[in-house]
Amino acid sequence: MLESDPSRDFSKHEDPSIAVPCSYIPLPDGPHTRELASARRMPPKRAIFKVFSGVLILALVFAIIIGGRNSDVHANGNALLATSTSSMASEPLRPVSRGVSAGVSEKANHVFSGVEVASFPWNNTMLSWQRTAYHFQPEKNWMNDPNGPMFYKGWYHFFYQYNPHGPVWGDIVWGHAASKDLIHWLHLPLAMVPDQWYDLNGVWTGSATLLPDGRIIMLYTGSTNESVQVQNLAYPANLSDPLLVNWDKYSGNPVLRPPPGIDSKDFRDPTTAWYTSDGKWNIAIGSKVNKTGITLIYHTEDFKSYELLDGLLHAVPGTGMWECVDFYPVSKTSGKGLDTSANGPEVKHVFKTSLDNDKNDYYAIGTYDEKSGRWVPDNPKIGIELRYDYGIFYASKSFYDLHKGRRVLWGWIHESDSEIADVKKGWASVQSIPRTVLLDTKTGTNLLQWPVEEVDNLRLTSREFERVEVKAGSVVPLDIDAATQLDIFAEFELDKEALEMTAQTNVEFSCSTSGGAAERGALGPFGLLVLADDSLSEQTPVYFFIAKGIDGNLKTFFCADQTRSSEATDVNKQIYGSSVPVLKDEKLSVRLLVDHSIVEIFAQGGRTCITSRVYPTKAIYGAARLFLFNNATEATVTSSLKIWQMNSAFIRPFQPGQDA
Amino acid sequence: MKLLLLIFLVQSVLQTIYLPASQGAVQPMDVRLIEQTCKQTPLYDVCVSILKSDSRSSKADVTGLALIMVDVLKAKATGTTNYIKTLLRGNLKGDVRRGLSSCADLYNTVLEADIPVAIEALQKGDPKFAEQAANDAGIEARSCESSFSGHSPLTESNKSVQDVSSVAAAIVR
Repeated sequence: MLESDPSRDFSKHEDPSIAVPCSYIPLPDGPHTRELASARRMPPKRAIFKVFSGVLILALVFAIIIGGRNSDVHANGNALLATSTSSMASEPLRPVSRGVSAGVSEKANHVFSGVEVASFPWNNTMLSWQRTAYHFQPEKNWMNDPNGPMFYKGWYHFFYQYNPHGPVWGDIVWGHAASKDLIHWLHLPLAMVPDQWYDLNGVWTGSATLLPDGRIIMLYTGSTNESVQVQNLAYPANLSDPLLVNWDKYSGNPVLRPPPGIDSKDFRDPTTAWYTSDGKWNIAIGSKVNKTGITLIYHTEDFKSYELLDGLLHAVPGTGMWECVDFYPVSKTSGKGLDTSANGPEVKHVFKTSLDNDKNDYYAIGTYDEKSGRWVPDNPKIGIELRYDYGIFYASKSFYDLHKGRRVLWGWIHESDSEIADVKKGWASVQSIPRTVLLDTKTGTNLLQWPVEEVDNLRLTSREFERVEVKAGSVVPLDIDAATQLDIFAEFELDKEALEMTAQTNVEFSCSTSGGAAERGALGPFGLLVLADDSLSEQTPVYFFIAKGIDGNLKTFFCADQTRSSEATDVNKQIYGSSVPVLKDEKLSVRLLVDHSIVEIFAQGGRTCITSRVYPTKAIYGAARLFLFNNATEATVTSSLKIWQMNSAFIRPFQPGQDA
Repeated sequence: MKLLLLIFLVQSVLQTIYLPASQGAVQPMDVRLIEQTCKQTPLYDVCVSILKSDSRSSKADVTGLALIMVDVLKAKATGTTNYIKTLLRGNLKGDVRRGLSSCADLYNTVLEADIPVAIEALQKGDPKFAEQAANDAGIEARSCESSFSGHSPLTESNKSVQDVSSVAAAIVR
């Protein structure tokens, strides 16, 4: 809630005297004393008047005293406040930790965390390089949450929060694009705009439900003309149009208003519905009560009238507002995706939420008992624990792709450069490459995410490197021509002696608080330097760091270090990452999708993912290079890699003659 | 008789003066909301002095207080922009002129992007974008200050904008 700002001295404070309008006037040395004095000299006939005037005077005096005393109370009260606030202001202020007890990590919310930065003189060459070649983004302007992804009549559909007027959030509408393969997107006309009272202040996030009879239900949040968050129903105007260009809004909208006890601004982002054996459809909507994030469930049969269930799907105290909740089944056995309504003994259910407080997406795996409508996490001690992605990845949404029988996940990847650069370049945000989501059957405790296989179709030429030895403290250039549009798969092995010998450490390592790739350990860091220039003045290390705990067991960490990713001072310089489970006899492996200003990184088959935005000023176009590095002090690392040049996806507006 | 009348007049005059004081001109409820809200910002005194001296704050809820703060931010940014324009008309050294041009761009972003986004997000009920916009304004003010290699003619303005933007962002939270 409060920002930490080491560069600002919080012990300095303004003059503590508060400008409170204080309307009492100092008591006049009143006329009453003079009156009393003159009254004494009056003749007895006027004694009555004297008494009467005395009474009046007394009354007047009382009024003055009482009035004065009240003002005194106010003045004293304010004075007390003045002293107490000045003592408060002199204490150093620290950011309030949210939900740490619930397993939610501390994370700086904002790009620069109070560092004094000059605005970098970005030029058009640098800025235009930043546009991605094969990630979804509109031609210009601002984008945020993915909406209503689905497959219908041979096309994948993607909708998104979009500002048609500029590269910052505002005037939000539903953008729309379609693709045959989740990669080659064609822009279509806007699907929905704020043209009704119930979405006049925002056509916000929503999800699609495909009914067995072929109908398509789109539920979305509208911000009404009075800024109340409600849920609305929309559907395609013409189901025989495979491109679903036009959409109609149900005349009886809104179908859901905030229920009693829920604030009108804490009720948004309805999920895809799932069908339960009682013949009802269920949807979940995230919300909060005080500081407890919660998820409400509703029953419906026709998507027009709803019944709020008594129980909550899930709740975790101290986590704040839950946005974009997602709830879906994963198979314990098959390597396939499941329809949102699937259930059974071979099925686990994933609950996911986006936390408004720290702008990260969290998930937990558990069991859903549809009879009671309860979902219980496997690890009830922590309410929501794992992150989909340890870099930038928010408001994510999954859908069941019935075309290929997989669960596919979209995530919004915002910029981490300065707003003024976004305004200069005229756009902001991209989407992740859609990822398949599967339960990691080897660990049972996390999901695996992996870029959809169709992205492999963008691969052009490849180069293979077999068993390249990288000695401790060295950097090896990889000769691959261009290095800004790449698909890299790399495996790493450490020499066994180093692993056994290394002294035990009892310091708990964390990517974000470490010294990055420059901090040397016995068994790390080692990995790749992407978007680096020849002189390494700019470099983005993506690496493993192996630490040996007190118990003698090895723990592997996987990080992406942005501290030297750009000479520009006005870009995010954090280090992202987390620990990654590595099972016995598993090699260390990583896949990277490098696409100009975005790098998506998948370690150990997608057990730990990191998405990073990178804005180099020199390591761009033909000057970008790729290196292997090993900054460990003891271990030698051997790496085998395959590196593909990636084609553009040619994402562009739909052309009726060419594309239909 | 005249004495009585005089006393009566004096009394009624003094009563009208004291009556408001006995009721309290500073309404306890609004003050409490302002103080509670400002306690949750990094610059309590800045926050309180701005809100208490703005008459709109007496009828405002927390969103309203945030909007007031954003309005003050807009006023300060506008003031700084005008000041920059005035300075640019004068005879300046190259590096100062460059710094000021950079600042003109930055403050233009504050007025064209940040303020409208913050207002829209607060009014439409998706405050996280307002928080980001308020923070961006502070970042732009900081960037402006860092644009000068030597002495900055805008230090006070920039600090003022930074302070108000950090308070606004915290209120939005």
